Amino acid sequence: MNGKNKNSGPPLTCDGCREGLQEYLDGTLDKPESLRFFLHLRECSGCREEHDRLLGLFQMLDSLPDHEVPADFDAAVLASVPYAAYQAMEPLRRERVPVFLEEAFLPRFVRARTVRLVGVGVASISAALALRGDGSAVLPVLVVAGLVPEILVRLQGLGRRALESMGRAES
Amino acid sequence: MFDRHQDLKTIRRCKRGEEAAFKEILERYRGAIYNLCYRMTRNSEDARDLGQEVFIKVFSLLDRFDENYAFSSWLFRIGTNHCIDHLRRNRLRFLSLDGGVGPDGEEYEFQLPDTGPGPDTVLQRKEALERLEEVISDLPPHYRAITLLRHDQELSYEEIAEILQLPLGTVKARIHRARNQVQQMLAARSYDI
Ligand SMILES: [Zn+2]
Repeated sequence: MNGKNKNSGPPLTCDGCREGLQEYLDGTLDKPESLRFFLHLRECSGCREEHDRLLGLFQMLDSLPDHEVPADFDAAVLASVPYAAYQAMEPLRRERVPVFLEEAFLPRFVRARTVRLVGVGVASISAALALRGDGSAVLPVLVVAGLVPEILVRLQGLGRRALESMGRAES
Repeated sequence: MFDRHQDLKTIRRCKRGEEAAFKEILERYRGAIYNLCYRMTRNSEDARDLGQEVFIKVFSLLDRFDENYAFSSWLFRIGTNHCIDHLRRNRLRFLSLDGGVGPDGEEYEFQLPDTGPGPDTVLQRKEALERLEEVISDLPPHYRAITLLRHDQELSYEEIAEILQLPLGTVKARIHRARNQVQQMLAARSYDI
């Protein structure tokens, strides 16, 4: 609402305060917005009372006591696991790849085709500009940064292929 | 709060059929799941049965687990849905006493006259927490689940949105309404916490 201009936000009304009080207590508001609540609560005893009541509820909700798990809980679960089926499926699974070579190890946006393409594009344009003699110091940084997603993805692929060929050699 | 990376490693070992890995997952999550089920049903036998069923289901479906998501989110999703299904199935049992179904399929509750201690009684903190648990267990199941995920499991709104597969805005709106309802119910029963 008031995210862009820190100082121009009108002071909070009581209605606005009550409405946003939970978010204020949740800590999900941005700083300027949070500050408006803080200032209003400092001045307004009615809203402060409501604030304190809600805060009490939050603290209670956060401290519900844990109930002890029955001692025999695990046995029935463990008895039902299809261990043999999993073991039988294991050789069929192509993986046995270290976690850092898994695709999921890299954040999804790094793996996204568009991000990789744009990165390579930015890198090539920057490289071309740098070669033409546009002396900006930013260009080499852009070249390197643009290539990072593509290089990471390719290194993972290389690693996986290397492992696969080692696996074939073993068996 | 939960270590996503460590979970993934353990799940890989589970998929190889290592019994010890299943025990590790139980060790890590049985308390959270049991308590979720307990607070959803407020009954220790139901909580044990439901909790066990959740793990049995999860352990038999590991091949369907999408590793792009956190295992904990998947587990809590299955746990939450399982409890809500259970409450739906058993709704007739309670219908006449304390609730009904609204036009959008969500349960609502009637206020029962309060027979508990009045506002003058000074309640100990422990008793206050018990009252709060009671009120939470009388929330409509969706509100109950969301309140527990947020406050009991201390998950972020983003994680809850992933677990319940709801938009972030809906999650926030629901939890705000759930808390308001808790406050109203506490007031209606003259529970001073
Ligand atoms: Zn005010």
